[in-house]
Amino acid sequence: MVLEATMICIDNSEWMRNGDYAPSRFQAQADAVNLICGAKTQSNPENTVGVLTMAGKGVRVLVTPTSDLGKILACMHGLEIGGEMNLAAGIQVAQLALKHRQNKKQQQRIIVFAGSPVMHDKKALEVIGKKLKKNSVALDIVNFGEDDEGKTEKLEALLAAVNNNDTSHIVHVPAGPNALSDVLISTPIFTGDGEGGSGFAASAAAAAAGGVSGFEFGVDPNLDPELALALRVSMEEERARQEAAAKKAAEEASEQDATMTEHASEGPSGADNKKNEIPDDDNTLLQQALAMSVDEPASTQDLQDTEMSDAAAEDPDLALALQLSVQESTKDSSSEADMSKLLADQSFVSSILASLPGVDPNDPSVKEMLASMQNQSESQQKQDEDKAPEKKEEKEEKEEK
Amino acid sequence: MACTHDHSCEDHDCSSNWSLYKHIDLSKVTALNEANPGSVKSVFKAWEERLNSTGEHLESNEGDPELLVYIPFTSDVKIKSISIVGGADGTSPSKLRVFINREGIDFSDAQSMQPVQEWDLVENLHGVLEYQTRYSKFQSVANITLHFPESFGGDTTQIHYIGFKGEATQLKRDVVATIVYEITPNPSDHKTRAETGGGLSHVE
Repeated sequence: MVLEATMICIDNSEWMRNGDYAPSRFQAQADAVNLICGAKTQSNPENTVGVLTMAGKGVRVLVTPTSDLGKILACMHGLEIGGEMNLAAGIQVAQLALKHRQNKKQQQRIIVFAGSPVMHDKKALEVIGKKLKKNSVALDIVNFGEDDEGKTEKLEALLAAVNNNDTSHIVHVPAGPNALSDVLISTPIFTGDGEGGSGFAASAAAAAAGGVSGFEFGVDPNLDPELALALRVSMEEERARQEAAAKKAAEEASEQDATMTEHASEGPSGADNKKNEIPDDDNTLLQQALAMSVDEPASTQDLQDTEMSDAAAEDPDLALALQLSVQESTKDSSSEADMSKLLADQSFVSSILASLPGVDPNDPSVKEMLASMQNQSESQQKQDEDKAPEKKEEKEEKEEK
Repeated sequence: MACTHDHSCEDHDCSSNWSLYKHIDLSKVTALNEANPGSVKSVFKAWEERLNSTGEHLESNEGDPELLVYIPFTSDVKIKSISIVGGADGTSPSKLRVFINREGIDFSDAQSMQPVQEWDLVENLHGVLEYQTRYSKFQSVANITLHFPESFGGDTTQIHYIGFKGEATQLKRDVVATIVYEITPNPSDHKTRAETGGGLSHVE
């Protein structure tokens, strides 16, 4: 929860076109920047983050330190790749931007993404580092991308000059299958000097560590937030229904209800919910076990509903069909009464008839038939399907015609 | 308690004169270019302790004798004079420049700005020298920044004691401490007299 103003220096030089970090070095860098901004603003709402680019025509400040995440994310769009990175100038401009921060109580920090070769010599970098240390500015270096001779050595020397009591860090990220942001999550750049990490970082790390399977429902919330949201909502609703069933069952279920309904009514919010949902799964399993042992019919129905609703969420048409079937199944098991009720519903029957080819509902003969059907519906206690009486009507109609 | 003034100490209590250290807001004292973060707080102590060098002292980074110390007070004070005890072997500061009521000064600001007052210091290992201020300029000091640009040739600058002599007023600087921010106003908080009853004022 350190109050901090951070300037992020992005490398948008030609070397960032390379694809050795998926999808491209520049894109990996942008993702990492977004993640850092989120982590910083979440760990302390008064933290501010600013962004500048080091290559291109020259060092350019895109956003001065602000706590408005939207502004920061917006400025990352439409960045052009080109030119050569000027590390020294970038750091110095970052220092200047931090000097003019609005809240002087914030600690100053610069995060540098060094992806292209470093042109400056070690001495110059050390002088810069000393100046940063003198003004108590911390520096985090992300060494990725190009790895030419001396680059690592220079950056390490820079870090040694800046480092004051381990507030500054350097991270070397080699090219590989892991995304740049995933690697950075576990570093002190995110966890903030070993304070214990923010909830954001911890839960994101848990999700990333599990890979695709680590995400609930097998869907990455970042890739498809709406789908993840829909799945989570349906899961919450299902849980709420199971609670209601379990409530009738045992005393223990009613105790857990309090916690469960809280979670259900919270609704989907952020990654923080992921942490809550892991113990929730244990709770739901326990409830299911209890419910099953005590109240068999209701729970089995609910279990079936669970499976169906999971599938349903993926296909809205299927969901509609399932809803209809669920409505029917919750009625009396004696479907004969249902049939007769359906038949008695004149509008329903006429709509069915209208869909049949060659039948005109306004035909007086059909109307007669409907009227007689209603009278006969009580006596027609058969287990025929809907179509059977209609077929009868058809035959009778044809006979009449 | 030996007080190496040219007078006998029974007449007045030397240490009470230098008691402004009690009005320093120690938690908010910061220093730039200090070798050990937080060591700056050790230099503010009672006048009797000023030669006590067993504890920590303030030292600048290797090879860079510049120091900047920011000291906020808990209430406005009037400073009559300042005393500095430095280190031996040329590590005492040779110059002092002060700035009043300015926050967030860093080295580039300090070097370019005109100080309120500056002194050439002498090596003052026993803490007997005091540097008088132009009192009229130090009448309501909420915070003071001391800038030590150089030392007497040493690689670093060491400071063992900083003392202030003067008076503390009970006034505090205007700090808007309690503000209630309203995102949406709550009408019940803003009842006018007309609503609470009695639209007409009555004369007694």
